[in-house]
Amino acid sequence: MHAGRVVRSVRLFTGLVLMAFVVGHLANLALGIHSLTAMEAAREHLMDPWRSGFGQWLLLGSVVVHVALGLYSISARRSLAMSRTDVAQLVLGLLTPPLLLNHVVVTYMADQVTPDFDSAYGMMLAIYWKFSPSYAFQQLFVVVIVWIHGALGLYSWLVLKPLWRRIGALVMPVLFAVPILALVGFAESGKEVLEKLANDPAWKTHLTDNIVSIVKFTSQLDVFQARVLTGYGTLLLIALAVLAARVLRDRLTPVRVTYDGGLSAQGRRGLSVLELSLLNDIPHAHVCSARGRCGTCRVHVDAGAQSLSPLNDIERGTLERVSEGQPVGEGVRLACQARVLGPGVAVTRLLPAYADASAARQPQEWAADAPAGEVAQ
Amino acid sequence: MTRLLRALFAGALLLAAAAPVRAATPVDHGLAELAMSALADMKTRIETLTGDLAQAPDEWRKLNAQTREALMSGTGVRGFTYLLILLLVGSGVEWLYWTYAYAPYRLIESTPVSSPRQAFRVGLRRLVFLGSGLLLFTVAAIGASAAFTWPPGVQELVVAATLLVLVLRLAWVGVALVLAPGHAKLRLVPIEPRKTRWLAAAAMTIVLLLALGRFVPDLLERIGNAPRAASALRLAAATVTAVLLIAAAFAFLGRPLQSAGAGPKLAPPRLSRPFLAVLAIIAAYALWILSSATAGLIAAITAIVIALQMGLREWVFFFWKEEADKESLLPSIVLSAARFLVVVAGIGACAFALDTPVSQLATSEKPLVMFGLRVLGVAALMLLTNMIWIGIKTSIDHRLRQIGSPDSHDEPGPGARLLTLLPLLRVTMAVLLTAILIMASLWALGIEITPLLAGAGVVGLALGFGAQALVRDVIAGIFFLAEDAFRIGEYIESGTNIKGTVERITLRTVALRHHNGPLHFVPYGALGTVRNTSRDWVIEKFNIPMPIGIDSEKIRKMIKKVGEEMKADPEIGPLIMETLKGKLYRIDPGVKIFRCKFRTAPGKQFDVRAQALKRLEAALGKMGVGFADGTQTVLSPPGPAPAT
Repeated sequence: MHAGRVVRSVRLFTGLVLMAFVVGHLANLALGIHSLTAMEAAREHLMDPWRSGFGQWLLLGSVVVHVALGLYSISARRSLAMSRTDVAQLVLGLLTPPLLLNHVVVTYMADQVTPDFDSAYGMMLAIYWKFSPSYAFQQLFVVVIVWIHGALGLYSWLVLKPLWRRIGALVMPVLFAVPILALVGFAESGKEVLEKLANDPAWKTHLTDNIVSIVKFTSQLDVFQARVLTGYGTLLLIALAVLAARVLRDRLTPVRVTYDGGLSAQGRRGLSVLELSLLNDIPHAHVCSARGRCGTCRVHVDAGAQSLSPLNDIERGTLERVSEGQPVGEGVRLACQARVLGPGVAVTRLLPAYADASAARQPQEWAADAPAGEVAQ
Repeated sequence: MTRLLRALFAGALLLAAAAPVRAATPVDHGLAELAMSALADMKTRIETLTGDLAQAPDEWRKLNAQTREALMSGTGVRGFTYLLILLLVGSGVEWLYWTYAYAPYRLIESTPVSSPRQAFRVGLRRLVFLGSGLLLFTVAAIGASAAFTWPPGVQELVVAATLLVLVLRLAWVGVALVLAPGHAKLRLVPIEPRKTRWLAAAAMTIVLLLALGRFVPDLLERIGNAPRAASALRLAAATVTAVLLIAAAFAFLGRPLQSAGAGPKLAPPRLSRPFLAVLAIIAAYALWILSSATAGLIAAITAIVIALQMGLREWVFFFWKEEADKESLLPSIVLSAARFLVVVAGIGACAFALDTPVSQLATSEKPLVMFGLRVLGVAALMLLTNMIWIGIKTSIDHRLRQIGSPDSHDEPGPGARLLTLLPLLRVTMAVLLTAILIMASLWALGIEITPLLAGAGVVGLALGFGAQALVRDVIAGIFFLAEDAFRIGEYIESGTNIKGTVERITLRTVALRHHNGPLHFVPYGALGTVRNTSRDWVIEKFNIPMPIGIDSEKIRKMIKKVGEEMKADPEIGPLIMETLKGKLYRIDPGVKIFRCKFRTAPGKQFDVRAQALKRLEAALGKMGVGFADGTQTVLSPPGPAPAT
């Protein structure tokens, strides 16, 4: 199997694992609307599986692999031409690890270093609402950021499936409701915790003791955090450096692609046809933003087929899927996968620029291979 | 030159608008005293500003500590949580909207656009899409905010934050529509493509600065109780904005776009646009610092209005690039309407900046206020009248040009009547509009026009009796023209037996050129029954006498044949509508009379008749038959002569 395809599947799988964890976590938080006790009761079922044995390793492994593959995909890029959703995905994804690290360290590592540390919801909420509110801002940000990143990823994967027509109406409200309910739960349980702190001195003493017990280890935890952050920063810099180096190297050999409708695009060698379209403001459908899943960017190569990178696994699979059992048309390529390596390429866009996810779900309805310019009329 | 005049006129109007408000504060000093007090005001203002600046850091530090304390508490966390929920609800609803709207929006964006006018229409459709998204976001966020019980003091902050987001998004909608970064064809302003992104960035930065300078200091004053820090922040925002504007003026106003292929032209030297713009920016900024925020704001608004007035023509005609002549109807109307709107918007903005109690102004009793308002009313009336006049005039002129100038040698075409009526209509409308404008202006200025109207009525009645004939002529003329009784170039005969070709039509008379030369001026009232001989067709009849012994059938066939030959003739044929025919009409002693008849286009019957006679004569000659000679031949019976 092609490496690109493996990377894509692994990234999707780890993303799904992380999304499952986040959904559980946020749902648990949302129970705060009811009461603190409900949160604690549900924690057993929603959170504890991730803290023991297999769950723990699955989660940790998924985090590492997902972040690593994200950085790898940055370094594998050839330009920063992408859709707005993709920019949001990238930036939010990059922001998540540094913002989330603190939370992970306090709830997870603290357990390891001081076995009697109480990392229950009551404790954490008291820290956020009373003892150190600056963490709360950080965590609130992270909830929103992680959720948007995950929801965008999940949505753009699911929306291409024929299944979406049946489950879309269910999934969309959930995608909206989960973070809002979690935030409301956070606010409500915060009220409860503050009240309890004022009225229950015994609990307050317990919390203070608890915090004192962890403060001893703060420096140790800080060192650990700093190390992880440095490592992450270095990897990110390396990824960006690789990207920059590739851009600078390719810059020297400009290529040109002509489109139907008399349009033409200019750019560096090695860019995909779709990237050239985006960089030159040429209307070109791309629902899955260059992941090679949707097939809406497909073009007919009129000339210069030998100057394009050869067909890869991802592309072949998608082309076969959208042609629905018919043999794949001669000279049809995915613009997001076909990279321009030489001169003389001329293409015709096969789908109109406004093609949406339904073009990926029901390719036969959009299969009238009319050039985009004509349909747009 | 006229452009500048118009711009100055608009500026003067704005000042006139400001006048009533100024007048609302009692001023009863001399001019010198006024100047002195203004200088003193200026001095105190500068002193306050420097004082504010000096004390701002202290206040700032205090404020910082306060904010930290307020934020780092349960209240701050809850406020932030709620704000995040608002934004999530808003953007969630908008995302849902875009999952449906994005495909049609892309379709609109990728529509091939060939002219700026088409781009304008596309822009309107884009506005609907973007605006609905923004509206949904706003409604959802505001609706969600109503659901919470906010901790004290937090709501104002959150409202300010939401407003800031809204202002920025609104500005972005404007920038995306007008400048359309990334879509050269959809752009609505004449600007070089490579400058677009920079201009969009500059515009967004300036909006951000202005919005921050508006919302944050207010918050500082009301919640933070830190007026000096607020003042310092306002100063900073205004300064940075002014600097940015100056930089933008140099970067984007550098040189007007040269149309391709126009070639280098030696333009007469004039003040460069960046220079003027920088002057205006500095003036507004100086006024803001030295006098008051309001004065600076009004100066800025005035400058913007003047700049818009100067650039409007170029901008409006950018949408009608392909129309070479600058007098076509639609652009002119749009231009004058746009000028009108800009001035009205400027006046509105000034009133807003001055915090004018508009409802109080309207009922104010002060004479100067009333006068100012009335002058404003008159100006509005003039602009409106001008717009209507331009509309009428350009449409009439356009129509006249379409019909073309009358050529006296040609047939009177179907446009002849319009050619007659339109100039009349133009003059009438001019008179009417002027009259209405004068009346309305007098009325707007508060001069009672009822007696004037009554007097005019009485005088009109008297004049009417005196000028009965005149009125009759004019009204009769209108009906003659409306009923299309005659047009320029037609040959008519009036009831009083005056004949001639219509040469000129005026309000009271028609000029008829007799075929012998004299020109008759006939008042319409005296025209009576009009006999128009230039309409549709004429029938011409004439007789030929033949000897009594001739074979009638042979002659009839001969005439018919001549008619057919004439119809086939390339020169004379097209004039004939019914061919020449003849039949035996009467038998007199010694002579057979044949009557011939044909139908032609009006005015051509004489030529055709001459031709017909000529051909008939030739045909008869060929047959060896002569016309009847008119003398009676007495035949004596044959027989032997009587013997004598």
